[in-house]
Amino acid sequence: MELMRDCLDKQLDDRNKRRMGRVDGIILEIESGSQPRVAYIELGVKTLVNRFSTRLAEWFAGRIQRHGIETAPYRIAWSNVKVGLNNVVADVEAEKTPALEWELWLRKKVIGRIPGA
Amino acid sequence: MKKILEIALGIVTSVGGFLEIGSIATAAQAGSDFSFQLIWAIVLGGICIIFLVEQAGRFAAVSGRTIPDAIRERFGFNYFAFLYLVLALVSLIVLAAEIGGVCIALELGTGVGFQWWAIPVAIVIWLVIWKGTFGVIEKGVSLLGLVTLCFVVGAILINPPWSQVARSALPSLPQHDSVHYWFVAVSILGASISPYLFFFYSSGAIEDEWNEGYVGINRIIATGGMSFGSGISIAVLILAAMIFAPQGVKFEHYSQLPALLVPVFGYWGYWLIVASVGIACLGAAMEITLELAYLTAQGFGWNWSENQRPLDEARFSAVYIIAIILGVLPIVVGLDPLTLTIFGMALTAATLPVSIVPFLFLMNDYSYVRIYRNGWISNAVVLVIIGLAFVLAVVSIPLQIFGGS
Repeated sequence: MELMRDCLDKQLDDRNKRRMGRVDGIILEIESGSQPRVAYIELGVKTLVNRFSTRLAEWFAGRIQRHGIETAPYRIAWSNVKVGLNNVVADVEAEKTPALEWELWLRKKVIGRIPGA
Repeated sequence: MKKILEIALGIVTSVGGFLEIGSIATAAQAGSDFSFQLIWAIVLGGICIIFLVEQAGRFAAVSGRTIPDAIRERFGFNYFAFLYLVLALVSLIVLAAEIGGVCIALELGTGVGFQWWAIPVAIVIWLVIWKGTFGVIEKGVSLLGLVTLCFVVGAILINPPWSQVARSALPSLPQHDSVHYWFVAVSILGASISPYLFFFYSSGAIEDEWNEGYVGINRIIATGGMSFGSGISIAVLILAAMIFAPQGVKFEHYSQLPALLVPVFGYWGYWLIVASVGIACLGAAMEITLELAYLTAQGFGWNWSENQRPLDEARFSAVYIIAIILGVLPIVVGLDPLTLTIFGMALTAATLPVSIVPFLFLMNDYSYVRIYRNGWISNAVVLVIIGLAFVLAVVSIPLQIFGGS
C-alpha cells in the first residue's frame, strides 16, 4: 500500500458506514533501530492547516483556543483502521468520537431548533 | 420503456434547468451590441458544456464518486482548499446574480423595487431546499423552467435572416468596440461553462444512484439537454439582435427585458418574461446553493444528501443556510444585478482552469473510470475551449474594467 495515495485524504467512515470526515493526516512512529511504523490517522482542522504551514496551524489553533474550543486533532489507532478501495473504515462509532463534535453541536444548538428540521 | 422515459425526463429537465440569468443577460447584451455576430460564443460554450456534463455524469456513474470527492482524494487538501476558495467565491457572486434575477422578475411583475424582494426570495430558496427533496429541485423546478421555451417560439416568430444566423455560428473578428466584444464573448463562455452546472450534475447522478448502466443514457441526456439549452440562449440573442440592435438600443438594465417578447407576444410577452426570468433564476439559485453545500460536504467528507432530513446532516444544512445569507447580501445592499451578472460570468470564465484541469486528469485516470476514460477528442475540445476562455478573460476583464477600447 502507498500511504499517500491509498489512505491520505480518503473518505473515512465508521463501522456503521456513517461518514466521519477524511483522513487529514497520518502519524508515523520512528524508533531507533527499527522501521518506521504507522501509528495513527488524524482528523481535525489543525492537522489540515498544518499541511499548509506549521506556524499558521499554531497561530490558528491559538486563536480558536481563546474561545474555549478544543483544537487537538482526533487520532484513531492504525490497528482500528481498514483501508478499502474507495474509503477508509474505522472500527469506532462516529457519534461517540470528537470527529462529529461540530455536527452534533450544530444539530443540537442550531439546526434542531429550526422548525421542520 | 423505462429508459426512454428517463432519457426524455432527463433532457427535459436539462433544457428547463439550462437557462439562468447569466445566459439571458450575456445573450441579450451580445445581441443588442453586436447583432448576430456572437452566436459562435454560445455554440462554443454549448459544445464545451456538453462534453463536461457528459464527463461529469460518466465519472459519477462509473466511479460512484462526485468530482470534489475525487479531487480532494487525488490532488490532496492543499489543492482542494485553493479550488474550494475560488469556486466558493465565484459561486457566491453567481448566486447573488441569480437571486437578483428573481428579484428583478418580481419587480417587473409588481412594481415594487427589487431590493425589497431579496429577503423573501432568500426565504423561499431556503424553504424549498429545507423541505424539498433532490427530485423536487431537479425535476420540479426544471419542468417549470420549460416556460423559457417562449424565447425559442419568439425567435422563430420574429423570422430572423436565418442564413446570417447560421453564418454567425462561426467565429468572426469584431468590426467595432473590440475590447467590449471579447469581454461579452468571455461572459457568454462563462455563463455557458459554469462549473456549478457539471459539479451539480455529478452530485445528482449519485443522488439518483446511477451506475455503469447509465453511461449511454447520460450521453444522450447531456448532449440533448445542453444542445437544446444552448438553443434557448441563441434564441435570446436573436430576439435582442432583431429588436434592440436595429434601434441602437443597448441592453443596460433588466427592465429592458420585456421588450424582447412584447413585440412578438403582445401583452402576454410581458408576463412570459416575468415567469421565464423568475423561474429560471430561482431554479439556478437553488442549484448553486446546493452545489456549495455539496462541494463543502464532499470535500471534507461530511454526510450529505438533499434527500435526508436537515437534522441528519447538520453541517451540510448549515452550509446552504450560510450560502443563502451571503448570496442575498449584495442584493440587499443594492448592488446592480446586471453588473453583478456580467462580471460574475467573466470571472467564471477566468477561473475555469482551476476546476476543469484536475477534472480532466480524473477523467483519464484508470483507477476511477476504468475503460470509460476520455478519448483524445474529449480532452482536446475541452482543453482548447477552456484555454481560449481563460486567455480572453485574462486579457479582456482588466481592459473592460479600466475602460480600454
